[in-house]
Amino acid sequence: MLLYIVRRILFMIPTLAAISILSFAIIQLPPGDFLTSYAAQLSQEGDLVDEAELEALAQRYGLGQPVYVQYWKWIKGIATKGDWGQSMEWQKPVAELIWERLALTVVLSMSALLVSWFIAIPIGVYSATNQYSILDYSMTAFSFIGLGVPGFLLALIVLYLAHSQLDMNVGGLFSEEYMLAPWSWAKIMDMLAHIWVPMLIVAISSTAGNIRITRANLLDELNKPYVETARAKGVKETKLIWKYPVRVAMNPFFSTVGWSLASLISGTTLVAMVLSLQTTGPMLLRSLTAQDMYLAGTFLFMLSTLTIIGTLISDVLLAIVDPRIRLEQ
Amino acid sequence: MTRKRTRTHAFSRREFMRVSAITTAGAVVVACGSGGEPAAEEAAPAAEAPAAEEAMDMGTYKEAPMLADMVSSGALPPVDERLPSNPGVMPNAGGSNGNYGGVMRRGFRGVSDRWGPTKMQDRGLGWYDQDLNVQPRLAESWTINDDATAWTFNLREGAKWSDGAPFTSADLLWWYDNDLLNTDINPSVNPRWQSGGETMGLTAGDDYSATYTFNEPKPLFIYETLRTTARIYLPGHYLSQFHLELTDDADALQAATEEAGFNAWNEYYVDRRWWYLNPELPSLGPWKADNELSNELFVMERNPYFPFVDSGGHQLPYIDHVNHRLFETPDVFELRIINGEIDFQGRHVSLDSFTLFKENEENGDYSVYLGYASGHTAIQLNQTTKNPRLREFFQNADVRKALSVAVDRVTLNELVFDGLLTPRQYSPLNSSPQANMGQASAYIEYDADMANQLLDGAGYSEKNDAGQRLWPGTNEPLSFIVEGTASPGTQGEDAILQIVKYFAEVGITATYQYFERSLYTEHFRANEIEAAFWGGDRTVLPIVAPWIFEGTMIDRPWGVAWGLYRSSGGVDPNAEEPPEGHWIWDIWEIMDQINVEPSDARRNELFTQVLDIWAEELPMIGYLGEAPKLVIVKNGFQGYLEGFPLDDTTGDEHLLHTETYYWDNPADHS
Repeated sequence: MLLYIVRRILFMIPTLAAISILSFAIIQLPPGDFLTSYAAQLSQEGDLVDEAELEALAQRYGLGQPVYVQYWKWIKGIATKGDWGQSMEWQKPVAELIWERLALTVVLSMSALLVSWFIAIPIGVYSATNQYSILDYSMTAFSFIGLGVPGFLLALIVLYLAHSQLDMNVGGLFSEEYMLAPWSWAKIMDMLAHIWVPMLIVAISSTAGNIRITRANLLDELNKPYVETARAKGVKETKLIWKYPVRVAMNPFFSTVGWSLASLISGTTLVAMVLSLQTTGPMLLRSLTAQDMYLAGTFLFMLSTLTIIGTLISDVLLAIVDPRIRLEQ
Repeated sequence: MTRKRTRTHAFSRREFMRVSAITTAGAVVVACGSGGEPAAEEAAPAAEAPAAEEAMDMGTYKEAPMLADMVSSGALPPVDERLPSNPGVMPNAGGSNGNYGGVMRRGFRGVSDRWGPTKMQDRGLGWYDQDLNVQPRLAESWTINDDATAWTFNLREGAKWSDGAPFTSADLLWWYDNDLLNTDINPSVNPRWQSGGETMGLTAGDDYSATYTFNEPKPLFIYETLRTTARIYLPGHYLSQFHLELTDDADALQAATEEAGFNAWNEYYVDRRWWYLNPELPSLGPWKADNELSNELFVMERNPYFPFVDSGGHQLPYIDHVNHRLFETPDVFELRIINGEIDFQGRHVSLDSFTLFKENEENGDYSVYLGYASGHTAIQLNQTTKNPRLREFFQNADVRKALSVAVDRVTLNELVFDGLLTPRQYSPLNSSPQANMGQASAYIEYDADMANQLLDGAGYSEKNDAGQRLWPGTNEPLSFIVEGTASPGTQGEDAILQIVKYFAEVGITATYQYFERSLYTEHFRANEIEAAFWGGDRTVLPIVAPWIFEGTMIDRPWGVAWGLYRSSGGVDPNAEEPPEGHWIWDIWEIMDQINVEPSDARRNELFTQVLDIWAEELPMIGYLGEAPKLVIVKNGFQGYLEGFPLDDTTGDEHLLHTETYYWDNPADHS
């Protein structure tokens, strides 16, 4: 097992190198660069586009240089100094920007993920064991609606309802007086008062999917001979269900942890845009549209790294949880 | 421009009170405006006289309560010591003086949206009055020599930076010597600081006067000093520590540069020079940054040394704080507006949502003010497009006239814009000093018959069965592509689709294609564009920003190759010399005269000639203009008036001196 993990980690190094080149190349694909999109944004607002300033910026960011030179500068900074470069749009070091937002994002996505499974597993199990009951049908109907409604639409509806019916403002994670305040008990309480809305919105669509997955997997397991055997031996029904088939039905949870790691950062993008949450999602999207290449490159690189690490984690987790799986060839 | 007719009127502190009483009786000449005549400061209303006298009795200026507290605790010197001996007296647009205190809430879209907050607190040497004449601001006066090659500015004696350091001609010189001319910081000098290809000179007469000298006349120089986008002064006493050639401790600077994540000192210096990234940077504006713009909430706090007062002797600004809150999508911003969470803003307030804003006025306790946008609904036929047949077609003035009268502007206005715009050509706004009714209304009457006759007469009379006009001598329908950045579902797209329908009615086949902005940019830069749909702006003071009229602003691509020829001096690979005797040469010759013409009246006369050419040739075709621009104003917010133009040149909604904006009940808005 240990050998397996070490080997996988060693394999990650060339993969990451390839990914870093790829992500940098992808950012260069669209026409123009950060300055053209910056100039376009200026003229959209009717501001003056100062050619001399653009020229100075191009020189400062080395935008005129060939792509491989820019790439080398970037990757050298990362490897030797842990310097991820400067964000052109935010005019701040990339690392500083990302760390600021990462914590909030992880809190939001993690809690949504947990809430989602917390709701989905019991309901899924109930639906499977009471197949075609009224509750099963209504849960199925709910899941289909949840799957069918995109999160951002839900967010828009919630925004509107909160404004028109409750006269409250659900945009953002903090009230204005706490936005700049240092962390304190009051600030945490203020955040908790705001975070449940986006958390539920994010959780709802994945809950629906998870209910379906749990239900389907469990239904597969329920008819297997080992369940019959256990039942024949007189194991109590509740204990039987939760100890054996549910454990197997939980495998998708572990095998998707790998992707969830990356979606922790980018998964809530649309909802966060609509609700104006200061998470990494909107920043990632904007860095891409603004062609803010070091910021976008860092994001893509980070997402890929997380996916690779996540895959490893889910493989290991699966092996631990499900004794039938062996890692060694 | 005046020939040394300027009156320099230095106010002493005692005199100030006397003068503010005089202003109530009539206009007082304070300095030379941009116009040929010394412009008059707006008269303060008579109702203010008692306030002025009261101030005189006490023999002192007044200050905001939050500053008074700091003075009494010893954290700040008294207001009399903070103000210059002759502070600028800012007229209040509403007529009456305001109340101290309160917060102004606005929205912004991130660091790249910096010009919104910047325009709010940016203070140059002069600024516009309500008639768009330039009045003194940080400078108390200026004089110009006969041929406009030497400009002397007089500063306000005793004015101070927000950290209390004196603001003198040394700060102008510091910028000039150590920033503008330093090639590490500023690789090339912006043409605005040049004349005849040579960079200007700057010498200081004494602490409070400085003279800019030019090779060739620079009569429009005053317009370069109004905003500090390209700077004009810098706090040298503070910035020297970040300047490698001036710092006492080069090693510390090097270490700080690395610490902050920059490659070289000049990058770090530039970073420290931005007011919105560096709250430490001393300021001369009414508010200074309290934190960095990269936060979710950007807070601006009053500058206790701001060297301006109202006619009652109250130090400005009235409002304590300006808060900009980040939003990611327009929906969130609009929701905040109708929720009453935006106090004063024109930027990002979209005309598309006019109805929504009006419906919720009462609910959100705000009013929607209508000003005028400088933009026009217009199309540009690229007369230098690479397709030779199309080029010949577009270069025919009759064709352009035909495509102008082929569109029913009144119906277009009703269908797309609820009748809010005005049918007109691309032309200076009615409120502009360069307004020209003749040109604005040239060929704007809907007349499909005339359009058909013009097109027939131009040699495009053959049509196929579908009614499409054909290229002469062929069976191919004449068609072209209109590129634009108006995305599906916007008013802009509705408008161009409607225009294209009108073209089809006179047999012209045009197709609108939406392009992502940077792709659009690549297309027009490379002259790979047939026609474009992009509104024409810069119509408030076109004489200061005449680039669309002369064709050099090629994102309005009515003659890309010609525009590039003029702007690059023929060097650009896509540039092309216009044919001899072409009307564009006449426009350029007149523009060259305007740029060195010292007389204001004569300049306007010359610009009328440019507009006459436009009226006859229609270089680009305008359909609608004078679009309302919405400004959200919370009820009880005073100092801004309805009906002013909103344009970059004149600072958008910040035209009327932001420091004089105030709350009726500041206590309700803290």
